Amino acid sequence: MRAGNTPIRRVLVLCAGLAVAAAQVAAAGLPIKPLAAGLSYENFSRTVVWKGDEASSKIQAGLISARAEFGLAKGIVVGVHAGLSLTDFKDVSFTALPISLQYDGSPLKGFALGVDIDAPLHKFSDFEIGATARFVYSIGMSKTWPLEGFAVEGEARGSSNWLEAAVGPRLSYLFFGRVVPYLEICARWLRADFEMSETLEDLSGAEKKLVRGDLQLSFALGADAAVTDRIVIEAKAGILPYTGGVNGLVSLGVLYKF
Amino acid sequence: MIMALESLPKVAATALIVLYSALGTGDGSLSLQTKSPGRTFVRPASHLRVERPLLRRRAPRYAANRVLVRFRPEIDPVYAEGLLRSYGFPAVRRIGAIGVYNVTTAAGVSVTETLAMLRRNGDIELARPDYRARLADVPNDPYFLNYQYALWNRGGVLDISPEIQPQMTAGADLKATRAWDITHGDSETVIAIIDTGVDMEHPDLAGKVVSAGRDFANDDMDATDDHWHGTHVAGVAAADTDNGDGVAGVAWDCRILPVKVTDAEGNGFYSWIIDGIIWAADQGADVINLSLGGDVDDPFLEDACKYAHDKGIVVVAATGNDSLSGVLFPAAYDSYVLAAAASDYDDVIADFSNYGPEVDVAAPGVWILGPAPQWYVGTGNLPYLFASGTSAASPQVAGMAALIKSAKPELPADDIMRIIRYTADDINRTSFPGRDDHSGYGRINMERALAPYIIR
Repeated sequence: MRAGNTPIRRVLVLCAGLAVAAAQVAAAGLPIKPLAAGLSYENFSRTVVWKGDEASSKIQAGLISARAEFGLAKGIVVGVHAGLSLTDFKDVSFTALPISLQYDGSPLKGFALGVDIDAPLHKFSDFEIGATARFVYSIGMSKTWPLEGFAVEGEARGSSNWLEAAVGPRLSYLFFGRVVPYLEICARWLRADFEMSETLEDLSGAEKKLVRGDLQLSFALGADAAVTDRIVIEAKAGILPYTGGVNGLVSLGVLYKF
Repeated sequence: MIMALESLPKVAATALIVLYSALGTGDGSLSLQTKSPGRTFVRPASHLRVERPLLRRRAPRYAANRVLVRFRPEIDPVYAEGLLRSYGFPAVRRIGAIGVYNVTTAAGVSVTETLAMLRRNGDIELARPDYRARLADVPNDPYFLNYQYALWNRGGVLDISPEIQPQMTAGADLKATRAWDITHGDSETVIAIIDTGVDMEHPDLAGKVVSAGRDFANDDMDATDDHWHGTHVAGVAAADTDNGDGVAGVAWDCRILPVKVTDAEGNGFYSWIIDGIIWAADQGADVINLSLGGDVDDPFLEDACKYAHDKGIVVVAATGNDSLSGVLFPAAYDSYVLAAAASDYDDVIADFSNYGPEVDVAAPGVWILGPAPQWYVGTGNLPYLFASGTSAASPQVAGMAALIKSAKPELPADDIMRIIRYTADDINRTSFPGRDDHSGYGRINMERALAPYIIR
């Protein structure tokens, strides 16, 4: 849990710092985006090859988060979010355990924390080019399954963590005013682990599967729409092509501006 | 199989029921002769170990671009097909006889996504992936299907001879074929057969022996079988399999280290057995099979078993065939040795199988077909015979241990022993639920030990 607490503490410190910075900017009367808060839902899939495996398998993650955005100087917007993650793993086998296990269970729950930054870089005509970066960390809760059919009672216990960092350019079209569509291309780096342990009376073992820095490009279309002066809807959908297939991502958020 | 049927009378002619007696001396005395283990291997087994073999990867469990769909009975097929077309599926084929549609998923849409979409439609009764089927790994050894019920029991009659035709219960077997889908074993995993020697020219064994072995009865480096027992035991554990000849062994690709510890009559001394165990351990054996034993508890014999066990070797021994309470030694050395009792073609414990608290598991040991020296069965007969006894059960457990060791070489001997115990089928649960003194934890189940357990 020491490893899990560190990111939480960092995010909390970051939130506090951002709130102070946003308040200072607002107090200075600068024309920037105000503080906004709301809910967001996000879903993405990644086809990965776990370290030591030959075959690929799929990670599908869904996140429901409370989200806050802080406007800073020079149009930079920093968003932080925290919520629940549901991560689904397909075709993951733990063959180094005394009794090999294949995971075909329901998605694993976890806590998700994230930070993202949008920074405008250059504006020309009705277009604006900017940079976007994002960092999400999901800390998995452990789950237990009974191992049935054996001569003794047994159980397996699993938990998974993952971390995704993405960075890339964003091209926004400002013509419509209240609705800002954009095209976003990101390099997305994923690190994931899935630890499984098993115990059958005095027979026990543990195996940790790792994805160390899987990198994929995503191409996404999105839009930020100001439904009212206070309510903004943010939506995005995209693909992550890889050799032999394509993964997807979708996100939807509703924010209230203060 | 034609060959097998034609030669059945010959096989039957050589069929034997062998209920092994203990090999220890009657008075339990020990031989005083000492033997130097020596080291004359040109290529000792311990020098042959290479990197861990990879498990066979399973293909994806279902087709990546196809699903199967059935509509509710009241839905008209024309409407159903039109509905599926409206989803944009590139191909829809109706399997008329059962009213199921074979649907090719749209490009870029996964099977999971397609199923989720279809299941939201109230007209659809069932939408499922198109699961992959596979052939269980069945070897082409001609006697496998009809005679080796221990590995795969399909029920029916075990046609041993006109007089001996027991009816078998399907599924009363080791589940070997499904385990072989996972691994055939590693040729660098060595099973030491400490017995009467091995016929190293037998067609089902010639390619499997690591070396000429060691003969502690005659004090030489030639463990050729002058009985028949060790040849049979070696073949049950690891006969040359899928070679289109004879029988299949439990551990297809594992190899055999012959160690002779009895004379031509099948009698031996504890000291020979002790020497044999230590010699095999020093040669790098991964598994030791002892289809023999004596009535007398002996600390030196126990020390030899401990020596092997501490080297990471799985030691398996037969419980004995006296129908008595009291497991033979070394099988009774619970901490270091897996004690194997015998079951039959109906998953019933054989009436001759010794019992006691040291029994760990059972394996089929009644009418087990295995290789035999040609000189023993006589010219004109096939070099195979049926035998019964815990001696025939023990090498099946040893073969299973060798497969586990091949798949997971990092596992310590204790863990392999636990896997074998805890994955067993409790075949006599109606009389003795849970672990008992007759079958131990139950009849071994190779599939449960080697195939992945699926967490749902």
